[in-house]
Amino acid sequence: MPLGSSSSAIYLQTSALGSSANPGRALPTVTVHPVALFSILDHFLRRTDSQDRVIGTLIGTRNENEVEVRNCFAVLHSETSEQVAVDIEYHHSMFELHHRVNPKEVIVGWYSTGSNLNTYSALIQNFYSQETAPHQAVHLAMETGLQEGTQVGVKAYVSSPLGVYPKAENCVFIPIPLELRFREAERSTLDLLTSPHSPLAPLTDLDVLSETLQSVSAMIDRVLAYVRSVLAGEVEGDAAVGRYLLDTLNTSVKGMDSGLNSHLQDTLMVSYLANLVRSQVEVSSRLALVT
Amino acid sequence: MATSMAATLAASLPAVQAAPAPTVSSYEALPASMSKVIDIEAQIPITRVQIDALVLTKITKHGQEAKSNNAAGLLLGLDLDGTLEVSNSFPLPTSQQAGDEEDKSTKFSGDDNCDAARYQASMLRALKEVQVDDNVVGFYQTISLGAYLLPSIKDMQAVHQEKLRHGGVVVVHDVTQSSRGIASFRAFRLTKNFTDVQRKGKFNSQNLVEHGLTFSSVFEEIPVEVRKSALLNAFLGGLKEARLEPDFSPRSALGVKEVRTLGSKYGVLDLNGPGQVNRNLEQVIERLDEYKTEEGNVAYLTRQSAREKARAELYVQKRKEENAARVAQGLAPLPEEDVSRLFKIPGEPSRLESMLLLGQIDGYTRSLAVASSDVLVKTYATRSSTPL
Repeated sequence: MPLGSSSSAIYLQTSALGSSANPGRALPTVTVHPVALFSILDHFLRRTDSQDRVIGTLIGTRNENEVEVRNCFAVLHSETSEQVAVDIEYHHSMFELHHRVNPKEVIVGWYSTGSNLNTYSALIQNFYSQETAPHQAVHLAMETGLQEGTQVGVKAYVSSPLGVYPKAENCVFIPIPLELRFREAERSTLDLLTSPHSPLAPLTDLDVLSETLQSVSAMIDRVLAYVRSVLAGEVEGDAAVGRYLLDTLNTSVKGMDSGLNSHLQDTLMVSYLANLVRSQVEVSSRLALVT
Repeated sequence: MATSMAATLAASLPAVQAAPAPTVSSYEALPASMSKVIDIEAQIPITRVQIDALVLTKITKHGQEAKSNNAAGLLLGLDLDGTLEVSNSFPLPTSQQAGDEEDKSTKFSGDDNCDAARYQASMLRALKEVQVDDNVVGFYQTISLGAYLLPSIKDMQAVHQEKLRHGGVVVVHDVTQSSRGIASFRAFRLTKNFTDVQRKGKFNSQNLVEHGLTFSSVFEEIPVEVRKSALLNAFLGGLKEARLEPDFSPRSALGVKEVRTLGSKYGVLDLNGPGQVNRNLEQVIERLDEYKTEEGNVAYLTRQSAREKARAELYVQKRKEENAARVAQGLAPLPEEDVSRLFKIPGEPSRLESMLLLGQIDGYTRSLAVASSDVLVKTYATRSSTPL
């Protein structure tokens, strides 16, 4: 799914991009795990007063033509009007620590907050390009939306040298497409985080079920209202919607009953068994106290 | 106010060490609103655990990556007025991974424990440099199928109990629940009863009876709350905002204003229910077998202990009779020897193992019961709506 407002990212096949080792490589597509984004936001919240933006290292996996950002960590840096300094030693020791837990993840680039790409960004990009060589370093710029007139969003860039003589502080940042990716099983946690309850607390099975049913019921209501308004002639019917509805309503439920009954009996059996074992266990533990 | 608070704190600290009793008086200098909140001695019990969204996603991700084995990590944060705020976490390398590492490089030599401690210390130091809370408040562990009473959890928690303020908490995340679409996070701490027994060092039946300890009273649950920073809230809100492609007519025709980019939990409606019923049942049977073996061991040890005791008593009895006979004959009685040196009476077997196994069975069956009741509800609902 897309992140941020749609960008005018260009999808060019350039021949002089990045390192000369892989000429003619297409631009990588980047996917990012929510954990990395959340970490960046947390890091931004914990910045010191003197810092305008924070930076850090992105780690993840790299396939053929795709970079998957799976995690990130904060790196110390300081920017003044004269110079920029990145704590390289900290970066290395932190990566070493991360590497021990997850040996498959490698350095893929760096992040910063704010969408300001300046000379310092180019210098840092140059440093990270060395770290990720022979691959290109990916730069994630997260706009936190704290300044007036900016909108929350994340953008990804790769860089390309600029000028007659390549210089570290000269480079072009080329926007590349970015998507959010996580495993299906992690959706539940994100669902929890985006649910409108307050205070937020983990839900039980039945809560989740009832919420889902409510949202399905709301969808049916919406379709019903639409169909009614079409029938009344208020709105012009849309052929695509009609076909979708026909497909959905044509779903056959014949022969489902017998299957349903046996399924029900199996489930009842399992439920009975589970409760039986549980009470036995309870009794057994009480008996241990009696002797 | 912050400086005055710090000053008062600093002033009261030596007093605590010198004489714990009059510390209460030194609190009076604080503003009335804060005086209740500050507790140097960790006297305010924790009633809630507040977990940051970042930590939840980190735990979920770690749990998904280490699918088969249980992933664990440390929780960092603070406690304030009965609420334990968990603001960050980091994963711990599993012992197997550490072992691999050791094979590859000679850098991490030495035993696992020392290695893990060094990892923790350097991670904490590194996090402190970027203003992350570096106070360990507990640990997390991912489990499957609802059985949380694992020996590893108990061991780790027992270690923390001694070291941490409030004894630390353990946050348990169920991986199988999560793949069914339900984010399950529960927080526990060891009960006082369990720590008392643990301090005595013996889990024999007498101690268990004295403290009324069963598997259900090893851990007590603390309510969990989720916290989102305002920034994160705004970010998620931005993600959820409508991003409609103009050419996709069905949605715009229906007047859909909002696309849930993140959420779609309709997998919950799947009638077949959890596919893990088989595995769950297998686990129950496996644990039951283990429990039976353990019971056998305990019974064997108990019998052996009883037999040795009987033999020792018989010996003492015999010696007494002999002595009585010798006294009657006017001879000097034989010295009463130390029985314990002659007979090795084995101590009563520990019941801890079987208790934990029972707890696991309970966890498995509980999740099984919950899952099946969930399916029952869905099936009945479907059936009643199907025309017969």
